[in-house]
Amino acid sequence: MRKSFKVPALMALGLFAVLAAAAAFSSAQVSFRSAEIDGARVAEVLIGERPVIVLHTSSAGYSPLERAEIVSNRLRSALAAQVKPEDVTIGSIPSGAALNIKGGLIVAIYKNEADAQGATPTALARLWRDKVLLALSSEAPAAPSPAQEQPKPAAGEATEQPVAEQPAQAPTDPQAKPSKAAAAEQTVDWTGSAQKWVPVFSLETQGARVGMAQIAGPTERVERVKGVYELRLAFKNIGRVYAYVPVSTLSITKLDRVQGVSVWALADIKVLGF
Amino acid sequence: MRRYRVLSVVLMVCLLFATLAAVNAWSIRLGDIIKVGGVAFLVSQYGGQIDKFINNALGERQAAVQGATKVVPILSLGGGGYIGAAQVVGNPENVKRVKAVFQVEGNFGSVRAQVLLPMETEKGSPDRAKGVGVSAVIEFKI
Repeated sequence: MRKSFKVPALMALGLFAVLAAAAAFSSAQVSFRSAEIDGARVAEVLIGERPVIVLHTSSAGYSPLERAEIVSNRLRSALAAQVKPEDVTIGSIPSGAALNIKGGLIVAIYKNEADAQGATPTALARLWRDKVLLALSSEAPAAPSPAQEQPKPAAGEATEQPVAEQPAQAPTDPQAKPSKAAAAEQTVDWTGSAQKWVPVFSLETQGARVGMAQIAGPTERVERVKGVYELRLAFKNIGRVYAYVPVSTLSITKLDRVQGVSVWALADIKVLGF
Repeated sequence: MRRYRVLSVVLMVCLLFATLAAVNAWSIRLGDIIKVGGVAFLVSQYGGQIDKFINNALGERQAAVQGATKVVPILSLGGGGYIGAAQVVGNPENVKRVKAVFQVEGNFGSVRAQVLLPMETEKGSPDRAKGVGVSAVIEFKI
């Protein structure tokens, strides 16, 4: 009797060990941790070494860290299968937005979470989606051919990461190109350090000013900037707003803004007075 | 007895303030303190509204920024006497760390020059904020 009990028990243990090993293999890239931002405890969900989702607030009785654990479990399950960029979507839920993979909920973003991070729920969902795609891209085990290799940037120069395809998909897959380009356009990286001087134009009721502006951002985006338009707006009676818009085309009919690029130095001179 | 004690404390505070003011008169003037306080007040009162106003105005012109935004005071160094605030833009976690924008400005004849550096105080001391840029400058009428 005792012997007959041992055999199924050993089989169950063996099966459990195999399943655990398989789960560990498939989920090795997703993790979560507690972190501190601006003196506040937050929880981060990581793919590889990249934090892709940062949770600041509690929800439904769960602390940020508990939520991160739930989210990482969902993410791990979703990434166990092949995931294409178009599978990572943003949906709407009552009073918020949701990040989904293949229609399954990964994380719900409510207004309090978005407020805590200075964004709207949809904007935060979009950011997290982009970060997930970026992380999946960098995790993808793709070995580029010599023709595909890009020149390495100079030291200290940030580059924009190529946006994700599914991990097992070769980067040369022609079917992947449209979604890759679309995802890249959606992805905004504000951490680049490339710089360039471009002309700045300003038209106001008192006259016109021209000058030079130094812009900063990721190399590829900085290279696209042809100039900066300065928009002058009156805010009630208490102030005047000077908004700087880096543009890729010098058109007076359309502001073709280049995202991820900001102005950090300006010098201008009045050339025309009204 | 208690009245004299209160009076002595008030006098000591006044003396301390006068001494500090005299020592730092070259760098911190009362006007500067009032201006900085005024900007901080305006930012606290109108920062959210200004932020939405800028985002809406840019959105109407198809030039909205993709990222989190926030309005913070400008700490100005230079001869321009600039009083204002700035809208910073970037990833939410980086924008949240920004406390102010440090501005160095100068007027050279008719040429106006300015440098805008978003600052954070993550480690207790001011440091340049990474991954954040200035998208707009707000000039207050004080």
